Amino acid sequence: MLANQASTSATGRATSVPRIERHANVVWEGNLARGSGLISAGTGAFERLEYSNAVRIGKGDEGKTSPEELLAAAHAACLATSVAGELTRAGSPPERIDVNANIVMDEVEGKGHLIVESQVRVRVRVTGIEGNAFRRIIEVADEGCPFSSLIKASAKVSIDAELEG
Amino acid sequence: MAAERSAQATWQGDLIHGSGEIHEAPSGAFGPLQVSWAARSEEQHGGKTSPEELIAAAHAACFAMALSNVLAKADHAPERLETSATVTFVPGTGITKSALTVVGVVQGMGEAAFKNAAEEAKTGCPVSGALEGNVELTLDARLQN
Repeated sequence: MLANQASTSATGRATSVPRIERHANVVWEGNLARGSGLISAGTGAFERLEYSNAVRIGKGDEGKTSPEELLAAAHAACLATSVAGELTRAGSPPERIDVNANIVMDEVEGKGHLIVESQVRVRVRVTGIEGNAFRRIIEVADEGCPFSSLIKASAKVSIDAELEG
Repeated sequence: MAAERSAQATWQGDLIHGSGEIHEAPSGAFGPLQVSWAARSEEQHGGKTSPEELIAAAHAACFAMALSNVLAKADHAPERLETSATVTFVPGTGITKSALTVVGVVQGMGEAAFKNAAEEAKTGCPVSGALEGNVELTLDARLQN
């Protein structure tokens, strides 16, 4: 990706590649069936999001988040950034990129519950990139998004990408 | 039991000067949240979230639930678990580590048994399962009875 290379200081000595850490905290009270937890972001971008097992395996319409919804948000944001980076590198910065990620958790025989799939839909408005070049950009962006490679231990990542007028 | 959750993000402009938005979550629980390359790749985040922070939130949340289950099955349902996940992102390399911590209040349980339960939850939680082998996963578990 762009802006990623280790920089060289004025003295000519290579400086270390930055390591960025981000953390989140959770307080959980009670057992799995009847307990509940609160999720807070280290940056303060979101705080005390309530969640529970009933919500996690429910329809997702109760105003409460779940680990899978947070993963979906992470994947959508990560891939949007990565596609923007690759288009920029190719000399065609995008006007707009819309990404929708759908994370599927399921019970796998003998392995318990796993994140089995992330289905991603990408729509891009950009000039100067078409056809095979666009498809190649999406492939490279998928390889470059840390999240896509991260979850491949258990999950299949499928991407449906199209250019928009 | 299967569960599906989706989320949407929009990016406008190039990588360095452009910016993105994670739309309000379909559940309604959070958002919209602003994201940018600078906030993601530099120490100063300016109060903005990032994919790494969202993964940390998902991992800490998943781990807490898994541990509550392991403890309840051993007849030691926790009074309280405080978990955290710290995700390390090396721009250009990728995500290299998720470090879990837990401080538990669990009546009638010793430190060693609690550490074993936490290890089991770390392995069993679905988010760990997706990350396993791709990143370094560490755990620091303590009791605070």
